[in-house]
Amino acid sequence: MVAITRSLSPALVGERLSAVLLAATLGVGLLFVSGFAPVVALHNAAHDWRHSANFPCH
Amino acid sequence: MTKRLLAAALVAGFLAACVASALQFALTSPLILAAEKYETAEAIAPTHHAFANPLIVLAHAGHDPGGEPQWQPAPGLPRLAFTALATLVSGVGYALLLGAVLVAAGREVTPSEALKFGIGGFLAASLAPAVGLPPELPGIAAAALESRQLWWVATATATAAGLYLVAIRRGPVAIGLGLVLIAAPHVWGAPHGPEDISAMPPVYAAQFAARSLAIGFAFWAVLGLAFGWAWGAVAGPNGVTRRSEVAA
Repeated sequence: MVAITRSLSPALVGERLSAVLLAATLGVGLLFVSGFAPVVALHNAAHDWRHSANFPCH
Repeated sequence: MTKRLLAAALVAGFLAACVASALQFALTSPLILAAEKYETAEAIAPTHHAFANPLIVLAHAGHDPGGEPQWQPAPGLPRLAFTALATLVSGVGYALLLGAVLVAAGREVTPSEALKFGIGGFLAASLAPAVGLPPELPGIAAAALESRQLWWVATATATAAGLYLVAIRRGPVAIGLGLVLIAAPHVWGAPHGPEDISAMPPVYAAQFAARSLAIGFAFWAVLGLAFGWAWGAVAGPNGVTRRSEVAA
């Protein structure tokens, strides 16, 4: 019974699936820009945050 | 639901960035500025490490007296403003991922539930990568950037998946697999660079590592609490119905 509830509850369909995919894609994109992008200007702008947040930085 | 997720992530990211920015200005930015004095001194008389790893030179083209000058924020207020902006961008990014995981897991989003996932985020994205790659001040020699970034992303992903298996799926097989996933990146080992002897006082590096993790914890705790609160606050008139639909 528990297994059935679990398998139904997180079923990702319709609006939930699109919301999760959109949020995950946007989130990864924003993290790439602020934490990983190799562009020198982006690196320099985010430099102190990258060090504080322990993103690998130069 | 999409609008609600995006709105809650914006609010949570903003609040977490406010707290994390204030903490950075008080705790880590002064240490970075102090460390850069030693870094500049090394750049004028570069050690063999700087030549061995071209990425160090590339990434610090702004400081390199011989290279093409690259844009960087002016010292003082502009630099703090860009630090806060980067914190905000990361904050919203992490909040979106936190929200995506909460919704995908089918959890009822409350401040306490979101806080638990936020602490999971701290473990996955701050603590676990820091075990292999401790938070570093500028001017400390390290392995090639790409290899460290790859290890960082792999460790954060494996730890997050491992925590999901251990804390949510449960069951002996899931817990065993989860523990393997959490341990694997550390058994594999983080990429390490040459052991550098720096003129920088070691206490700077120790203080920076501890403060960086403390800021990370405050950031994730606020992110989780704020996401849970904002999710309820932006629910609208039919928010309760939607929440019960998710839980059903």
